[in-house]
Amino acid sequence: MALLPAMPARAMAPFHLGLTPVFLDNDAEVITRLRDALSEALEVEVALEQRRTYEEVTALLLEGGIDAAWLCGYPYLQHKDALALLAVPVWNGKPLYQSYLIVAPDSTARGLADLRGNIHAFSDPDSNSGYLVTVSDLVRMGERPEAFFRRTIFTYGHRNVVRAVADGLVQSGSVDGYVWEALTKAEPELTARTKVLSRSEWLGFPPFCCRKDHLGTSRMQAMRRAILGLERSQKGRDALALLQLDGMTEAEPSLYDGIAARMRDIGDARQ
Amino acid sequence: MNLLHRIPFALRVPLFTAAMMILVGFLASQQVLSTLRQVQDTRIRELAQLQVEALSVALGPLVSRHDVWEVYDTLVRATGKNGGRKEGHRLVFAAVANPEGAVLAATDPHRAPVDSQLRALTDGAQDLHALSVNGERRAIKVLAPLVYQGREVGQILTEMDVSDLIAERQRVSRYLLIGNALATGLLAVFGYLVMRRMLKPVTRVIERMRESADAPEPIAAADMPVGDNEMTELANSYNTMVGAIGAKAEADRRLAERERLVSLGRLSSSLAHEINNPLGGLINAVDTLQKYADRPEVVRESTALLKRGLNHMRDVARATLNLDRLDHEGAILSIEDFRDLKLLIEPEISRRQQKLGWDVGEKIDCRLPAAHVRQIALNLLLNATEAAGPEGRVALKAHAEEGQLFLDITDSGPGLSKAACARLMGEGERIAGGGVGLRLVHDLVTGLKGRISCQRIEGETIIRVELPCCRE
Repeated sequence: MALLPAMPARAMAPFHLGLTPVFLDNDAEVITRLRDALSEALEVEVALEQRRTYEEVTALLLEGGIDAAWLCGYPYLQHKDALALLAVPVWNGKPLYQSYLIVAPDSTARGLADLRGNIHAFSDPDSNSGYLVTVSDLVRMGERPEAFFRRTIFTYGHRNVVRAVADGLVQSGSVDGYVWEALTKAEPELTARTKVLSRSEWLGFPPFCCRKDHLGTSRMQAMRRAILGLERSQKGRDALALLQLDGMTEAEPSLYDGIAARMRDIGDARQ
Repeated sequence: MNLLHRIPFALRVPLFTAAMMILVGFLASQQVLSTLRQVQDTRIRELAQLQVEALSVALGPLVSRHDVWEVYDTLVRATGKNGGRKEGHRLVFAAVANPEGAVLAATDPHRAPVDSQLRALTDGAQDLHALSVNGERRAIKVLAPLVYQGREVGQILTEMDVSDLIAERQRVSRYLLIGNALATGLLAVFGYLVMRRMLKPVTRVIERMRESADAPEPIAAADMPVGDNEMTELANSYNTMVGAIGAKAEADRRLAERERLVSLGRLSSSLAHEINNPLGGLINAVDTLQKYADRPEVVRESTALLKRGLNHMRDVARATLNLDRLDHEGAILSIEDFRDLKLLIEPEISRRQQKLGWDVGEKIDCRLPAAHVRQIALNLLLNATEAAGPEGRVALKAHAEEGQLFLDITDSGPGLSKAACARLMGEGERIAGGGVGLRLVHDLVTGLKGRISCQRIEGETIIRVELPCCRE
């Protein structure tokens, strides 16, 4: 705090960090802990900005409404020219996660092909695990998602996808594997009413991003250091524990090659 | 009604009062329950209307966008099922459909899957404005249009838990039943006691009349109701009536006595003849005895004649004496009484040179007071001799059969006059004279619970008296 008076006025303004429903979006405690941990590390107040869709958060980031955002690999790649990677969470020792295809426990389906004619829940049209993986799988199978499923709905939250399947509103859903696993510890009675039908290959974990033109600023570099150093403070460790993450790490764009490949498949199919 | 009338008046009125109290209690309970039902209906209508209006506001834009998830999430939050069902939530189920009736989302997707038809669930659904909590159903369904910005964008079916209202109604019914049973029970007992007290003067009059049916006694001054004009008037009227009955009974007794004396008077002239006729012969026999005392055969004949004459006079005297004596001794009727009757009536028969028919048999198997039967038969025979006229026919037939004594008195006269018949049958006013003791005959027969009939057959008048009796 002794440094605060010496900092420039711009650095004193709150740091706006955007959040997508990538993780346990309904957990106010997680958000509070993360904000406190980052504020302490950054020594600047951090304001967490939440929006309902990935698109809204991405748009805010691109237009400068927020300084950085915890996005998903898919929107990062969609705007790869304008966005830069700040850090990537480490889960189970790796900056990787999977997409899960989930169904009701009594479902007899054995794979994606058996879900034809179902009502299917996606998380967000800009989510890798909650949309892109399943759609690209269907494309690879030579199917069109809008024709393959009887009806698709977007729940704008991975937890909501789990709820929709668990409650029987839909027969199947595409969900972030990390969220589903985290929920099995936080709300086991919810995930117990679903089962994982299939898991995707390991893909790059949703990264913290900022605009490329802001990456070099001391403010952004300070934020980058704060994120990467979360595990070094107690508040940071508490926040990571709540998020069930091991820590944060630096990443190269090549981490998202798997997602990029799926994007290409879709792009090819749409041409 | 017969059963009701068999209940004593003094019990019937208080019981009726108690029944009225119970009826009033029952009607009051029904009124309370009806009001409660109306209050509950109004309450549930208001609640349902508020709920539907609130859901319409929340769901309108979502339904317009066909946003299945948001509709579902909103419904789940509205029913409190988000994170488990909450106790006390009235909205237990809700389903929203598009204007074509296809389900967009429901709180229980298993019951109402997406795209299924809502009408499969609308059986028994009520209109929002005519909502009523009827019967014992724990949940009621309400079907209402979903209006957003003045446009009908779909339909909403809600199921509301009304178990608390049903339970409240049952609880109120139970309390009412217990409370009213106690209250009406107490009021009924109170009403019963008050009515009993109010009717006590009437009860007393009834009891007096029942206890002393033959000779009613007046209500004592100490028992007279005080401070109640109607009841005092009733008691006074009763006492006046008792006095009048006593006076009438005394008058009847005197009249009967007089009629008996009239009969005896009629008899006495006949008896005087009966004694006077042999008396000349007996005096002649005494003269013969004095004159021919030394002639044993004349003495023997004269003394025999004297003895027969005196015996006859003794029999006549004894029969006459019996008329009065038997009445006081309470003797039972026997064949001897008919012999006496014959002895008594024969002088009158012979005086009128009439023929007497006498069919009594050897034995009368019947327990009846001798004095009363003798008086009845004697009065009727005297009237028969009067009616038959000189050289007429008079007959008595007496026989007991099936527990009854039948007395048939026949005469060859022109028949009873209307006035005589009325007296014999106990009709009209009691007037002395005209026929010997016919009214007395009626009173005696009535006292013995008997019956009198009168008929004319082949120029003869037959008066039949039937008297119920016990076999010896």
